[in-house]
Amino acid sequence: MIKPIDDFVSRFRAKISLDETLIVKQQGRYFLLNESLKRLARKDFFYAGTYIGKVKDGNFFPSFNLLELIARKTANKVVVDSKTEWLFICGRDIFKEGITNATVSAKRDDYTLVVNLHGECLGFGRILCDLNGKRHGLAIKNILDVGDFLRRERQTATVSARHQTVRAR
Amino acid sequence: MNVDKTPAILQRLQSIGITLEKVSFLDHGYWVCKAKFSVGATSEYLLGLYSIQEAAAQIPVTLFRELENKTVLDACAAPGGKTVQLADSMHNTGAIVALDIRRQRLTALANQLERCYVKNAVVYFSDARHVSQLKVRYDRILLDVPCSGNFAADKNWFRRRTIKDVERNAAHQREILAEAVKVLRGDGEIVYSTCSLEPEENELNIDWAIRNLSVGVEEIDCYGQNGLTNVFGKHLDGSLEKCRRIWPGQTQGFFVCKLKRREAA
Repeated sequence: MIKPIDDFVSRFRAKISLDETLIVKQQGRYFLLNESLKRLARKDFFYAGTYIGKVKDGNFFPSFNLLELIARKTANKVVVDSKTEWLFICGRDIFKEGITNATVSAKRDDYTLVVNLHGECLGFGRILCDLNGKRHGLAIKNILDVGDFLRRERQTATVSARHQTVRAR
Repeated sequence: MNVDKTPAILQRLQSIGITLEKVSFLDHGYWVCKAKFSVGATSEYLLGLYSIQEAAAQIPVTLFRELENKTVLDACAAPGGKTVQLADSMHNTGAIVALDIRRQRLTALANQLERCYVKNAVVYFSDARHVSQLKVRYDRILLDVPCSGNFAADKNWFRRRTIKDVERNAAHQREILAEAVKVLRGDGEIVYSTCSLEPEENELNIDWAIRNLSVGVEEIDCYGQNGLTNVFGKHLDGSLEKCRRIWPGQTQGFFVCKLKRREAA
């Protein structure tokens, strides 16, 4: 059942082990439950546990939770500076000049995680050139970034911004 | 979850030009005093390091005693601010069952859960008035029920509401309360809250619950004034004093109280 997930993870030259007995597929979406949720969750849930990703038209679309799980392992990873971080979140591709460090043993067309200077995963992209070479220019094609939450919010948010405060988590 | 990182997050926000000031009545709440751009569009927000929530709305979750490893019901959960707050307080242990009856708002809830790396919630497209059909008993129940709102959060409030709407909401809230008491464990706790200032949706509903559902009001230690015990010339149960009314000013208008089964209270 988890082949699409394994195939996706392998494109980062990484491997993660998920307990298959705790994975539930619901209308093409994969969720990883914990033991208490497994006991509790009925089949008709809308969302449960950790959302892993979905399969649509034969393609796998990962969640940010899955990217975070991959980021904890040895995987293709590039660290970007703060200006590039912002541009990436806005949906832009990454130029080599914005990469401060690359732990990549990958070839062109492999996937790589993009992390900021704090080591937090911002999303992922497709490698466009040899990252260890000297050539400057476009290096990573943006596929998914955390700015996606804002794009989704624009479709659903109706809440007034008045009286809003920040709650530290 | 990330509460331990609070000083580091505050420092990061300050370094990008966001000035915050601690909310005196909240452990983890900060007023946004000055910001060069929207606090809902920073990398830190998108990475789930903080959430944006109205100040008074942060109070209900803080009133529960011990949340870790409990089974918790968030009966009217979308868009998910309090669900995330519950998960944080539970350190992602135990289980949260979150319900809502508006599918579009469930999508917003799911996005919040994903953004904040919540791992212990299960969400149903379901009406809180039928929660007993899930056949689960809960240690803690959050009833942040749909209400008429108040003029501090809605400029057109007086134009858009009639007393009939308030009465309809109050009846709906009583149905939710009655159903919640059915699925509450013996020593469990219910926190009931609204962002309405109408007595029909607050003290009168709780007075009804005391008389009909065998629950009692618990003492709470939080910001706000005592609940009303005399409404429209009618004397209500004296324990309603233990409820809290937060009048609009720094925050929106809000009402909150904690209930327990009478034999456990």
